[in-house]
Amino acid sequence: MRLWTDRPLAFKGLVVIALPLAVLLGALVSLYLASSAEARAEDDVRRAFAIQRDIYQVHALLAEAATGVRGYALTGEDRFLEPYRKSERELPPTLERLDIAIEDEVVSRYFEDLLLVVEEKREGLRSTVALSEIPQASSREEIEEALIANKLALDSVRREIDKIQQREAVVLDERRALVDDVRTRFLTLTAVSGIVGLLGSLAAVYLFSTGIVRRVSKLESNAELLARGERLTELPEEADEIGRLTQRLVGASALLRKREEDLRASEERFRLVIEGVRDYGIFALSPDGIVTSWNLGAERIKGWQAHEILGEHFSTFYPDDTRDFLPKQMLERARADGSAEDEGWRLRKDGSRFWANVVITALRDEDGELQGFAKVTRDMSERRRSEEALRLAREEAEAANLAKSEFLSRTSHELRTPLNAILGFGQLLEIDVEDFNEPHREAIDRITMAGRHLLALINDLLDISSIEAGGADLQFEMLDVASVLREAHDLADPIVSSAGLSFEMSLPESALAVRADRRRLTQVILNLVGNSAKYNTDGSYVRLGAAQDDEGQVSFFVEDDGPGVDPDKASRLFTAFDRLGQNKKTKTEGTGLGLALSKSLVESMNGVIGYSSNDPGARFWFRLAAKDAASSDVIEAQES
Amino acid sequence: MPVQLIEPEKILGCRILAIDDEEANVVLLRNLLQREGYTDVHCLTDSSEALKTYIDIEPDLVLLDLMMPEIDGFQLLEAFSRHDAADEFRPVLVLTADTTIQARRKALALGAKDFVSKPFDLIEVGLRISNLLETRLLYERVRAV
Repeated sequence: MRLWTDRPLAFKGLVVIALPLAVLLGALVSLYLASSAEARAEDDVRRAFAIQRDIYQVHALLAEAATGVRGYALTGEDRFLEPYRKSERELPPTLERLDIAIEDEVVSRYFEDLLLVVEEKREGLRSTVALSEIPQASSREEIEEALIANKLALDSVRREIDKIQQREAVVLDERRALVDDVRTRFLTLTAVSGIVGLLGSLAAVYLFSTGIVRRVSKLESNAELLARGERLTELPEEADEIGRLTQRLVGASALLRKREEDLRASEERFRLVIEGVRDYGIFALSPDGIVTSWNLGAERIKGWQAHEILGEHFSTFYPDDTRDFLPKQMLERARADGSAEDEGWRLRKDGSRFWANVVITALRDEDGELQGFAKVTRDMSERRRSEEALRLAREEAEAANLAKSEFLSRTSHELRTPLNAILGFGQLLEIDVEDFNEPHREAIDRITMAGRHLLALINDLLDISSIEAGGADLQFEMLDVASVLREAHDLADPIVSSAGLSFEMSLPESALAVRADRRRLTQVILNLVGNSAKYNTDGSYVRLGAAQDDEGQVSFFVEDDGPGVDPDKASRLFTAFDRLGQNKKTKTEGTGLGLALSKSLVESMNGVIGYSSNDPGARFWFRLAAKDAASSDVIEAQES
Repeated sequence: MPVQLIEPEKILGCRILAIDDEEANVVLLRNLLQREGYTDVHCLTDSSEALKTYIDIEPDLVLLDLMMPEIDGFQLLEAFSRHDAADEFRPVLVLTADTTIQARRKALALGAKDFVSKPFDLIEVGLRISNLLETRLLYERVRAV
């Protein structure tokens, strides 16, 4: 079967058409053979009849001739010789015909015998006629005798003819039987050919149907399945054109199916993403605003489930005060500009309001025809609440800050106002100092001294407080470290010099910048230099300097070769009013707030301040950011 | 010694109005001014009377405290500049215990010509007063030409 089905279609077609044709041809040939055989047999029969007829003719001619001769002999009338003459005329061609016609050997033998007796008879007749022509010369007896001999000769002719006829009858019968036999045989052959031809045609049609028609119809149904996008039925993979077509079709189907699956998978992923988005309400609108899709986010934000809202107009989401115009406006804007954004109140299913950010985008097909709208809704309530909370917190902080500034300002005022009177009148008394005696002068001195100390305290304290409250006005700028150091050096030089110390300076090796408030930075440096000058009672120098450290920060330092700080107490250096008992031994001035203030100032500039032993002496240092964009943002935020 | 463009007698003859709700400070200022030799000094502790007095006596210089009950120094500064003609130069020296930069800026923005923090140095205040008066007198002279 495979051998057949694997043959090309042209071969199959040839076989299917040639097979019945060959059978038909065979039948025709056999029919021709049958008819020619029958014709031959009939010819034989016809010849047999002709022989019979000629035999009769011979007999009739001889018999009539004999009768005529007898009459002539009796009467001598010439008219009686007519038959004799006819037989003499016609016998030779008839016999010649017979000789040719006779084929049967037995008949031939009989015919030869017949020829002998016929010749004898003719001789007898001739002699009788001759006798009769001379009636005087011949006697009656002689004539009678000749007549009798003729009669006997005719009888023997008759006998011979009978024999031939009998034999010819047998031969005819044989021939007839042969013709019948041939006819029967060829009829049978034709019938068999017809049946074989029919069967052959049926077989060809069957093969054609199994090999081509059935498979083509299967192929057709497969093509139909393909058109519907369904799975194809399995077909054996034959090697002919149909088989290859089938394979192509299967290939096409597989490709189609793969693409379809890819597309479906992609669509499914997309759908899952859209549906799964919980924080955004994403849904589609028809061109006239009817909701046509719904996702989880929309359900979560708005409260409607998909089956409740599909088919509704999206103005349902708008509160009464905007429902009549805003939805229409939004669609018009989206239609005109491609998309429209809005932020405002929207309704949930339960009627509650939420603050929403809405973007409506027009969806158009390739021809620019409006297909509908995509609507993305975000619930901004939380953000709005947190913004509100943030705003309140900021306002509160600002109010607190304001209150703090107000408090500082008022405290400052309240402390300074009486001090103004104390110091002012003290100053008046100082101006009139000549009017007073010694103890009064000393009292005036003490009043003004104490007053000034109190003022210094108040100033430092308010400074620290205002820095710590963030109320200090810090003006950050990029400063050249060397110029800051030189300026501070110039300012502090008189103080250091008056303490009998040399004032050294160690400038950074390369140009170095620092982000700081110039006034505050100088204030810290002066404070530290002032401290060193004040406490370095047995040393020889104060050194001011700055350098970039490993972390890229600028490290300022003030060092001396004085007594330094007791290591046990170093940790308390930057604590307010903790003067480590030094003022008791010496008559150093100060509020005890200098280092605390410096610490506050450095920290307000995002720096670090510290102390280390200089061995001998003290070393105070502080580090500031050279240039740090990130921290500068923080600083600016604090400034505002 | 700087060049004296205005005779000292003229400066000392100028009318000065001192406004401070604190009695002690007013007394201190009066003391200082009398010591300097000023002859026409008016003092007020009740700021609600300040504008009326200002209009009445038309002082050449005002010494003004900022923090006062009811009507404060800022309000008075505004009221003074509203009252004065545009080409009038009548200096106000603010004397305040409020040392914040905000107060300083605000006072100067509202028309104060100078600003001194309390507690102040008597000598410094005396010099600033005479300087401001000298400027006023020079201005008057220029305007008269």
